[in-house]
Amino acid sequence: MILEYSEQQIVGLVHNRSVSYFEQCLTFGDRLLQEERRALYKYLLESNKDFYKVQAKTLLAEGKVSRTIANGQAIYSVKNSQVTYSAYGLQSEIFSIDVRQIRLSKFRLLNEIRLRKFFAQGDIDIIRNFPLPSRYLREENGFGISVYPFYTLAYYANGKNYLKGIIKKLKTNDKEILTKLRTL
Amino acid sequence: MPIKLSKIIPKALFTTPKIPSVAVVGLMVVEYVILSNVIAPEPKCTLNVERPHYSTYLKETRNIDAIKLNITSECNVPQDYTEVESSIRKLENGQQVVVYAPGLERRESSKSDPKKAEFRDLFALCRLGKSMSYVGSARGLVYLKGGGTIPVKDDSGIFRAANCGIGAQ
Repeated sequence: MILEYSEQQIVGLVHNRSVSYFEQCLTFGDRLLQEERRALYKYLLESNKDFYKVQAKTLLAEGKVSRTIANGQAIYSVKNSQVTYSAYGLQSEIFSIDVRQIRLSKFRLLNEIRLRKFFAQGDIDIIRNFPLPSRYLREENGFGISVYPFYTLAYYANGKNYLKGIIKKLKTNDKEILTKLRTL
Repeated sequence: MPIKLSKIIPKALFTTPKIPSVAVVGLMVVEYVILSNVIAPEPKCTLNVERPHYSTYLKETRNIDAIKLNITSECNVPQDYTEVESSIRKLENGQQVVVYAPGLERRESSKSDPKKAEFRDLFALCRLGKSMSYVGSARGLVYLKGGGTIPVKDDSGIFRAANCGIGAQ
């Protein structure tokens, strides 16, 4: 069945529909809980799987790719077998050069898998620092990140005992927030 | 009638240096070293950990109950960023228990004040109506612009009560 709407009806539909939990998260910025950021990372990794795959292929082929999410932009580039990304606010003077880095291996498939995780982490950093405008005024601080990315064991171990990190990772449960992201 | 300078001062004075040029250069170097040490202050940084408090800002803007920890690092010279490991501990049966430890966090200095880095997004959910006493602490490194690091640490002092319990059932 093909539904046809006039432009006015579409505007009405857009305004009447409730904002999803994911869309709300895009406005929270520094008011996101760490648990929410981690769940968002997992959510983006699964929901953007194909998109990240295309991005990874473009980056490996052309050496540069950019991505806009929330109110910011990430520019990824390859130099000396290393991928870095820089972050820029679309309506802000805040920016950060070479926020994170990962080293590329000789294996293309492995690189694509690692880059997908790197992109998802980059998206989370952008969402945290450059949220979509909301009715609440936001004080602009410098660019901030969790030093250990979610895709490393160092995050769960806080850079220390990796055995404890494995246990913590196994114990970490983000099902509740993930369900909210998938359904609401 | 104008008098020529060479007639008043002997010509030899202009052509023959009284102090060897090597000594002049040496003196200039000594002067530069002394002046640069006097003008450029020794880099110093301090960390300020505020007491963990119930966040009305998060209640108003997100309708969540949370205990917030504000941390600021400030130097007398511009900094690139600060990295801190922070925690909130509560007092339970006379014992200190860590209830919030967000891991290693990095915050770049603000564009308006490059000597300062402010952590304003450290908070943990809590249950309103459950009074608990908290203390906040942090330690880390300040990375200065132009290189060099300075270790910093601080805590919020004595345990103070807040009417919201982290991890309370």
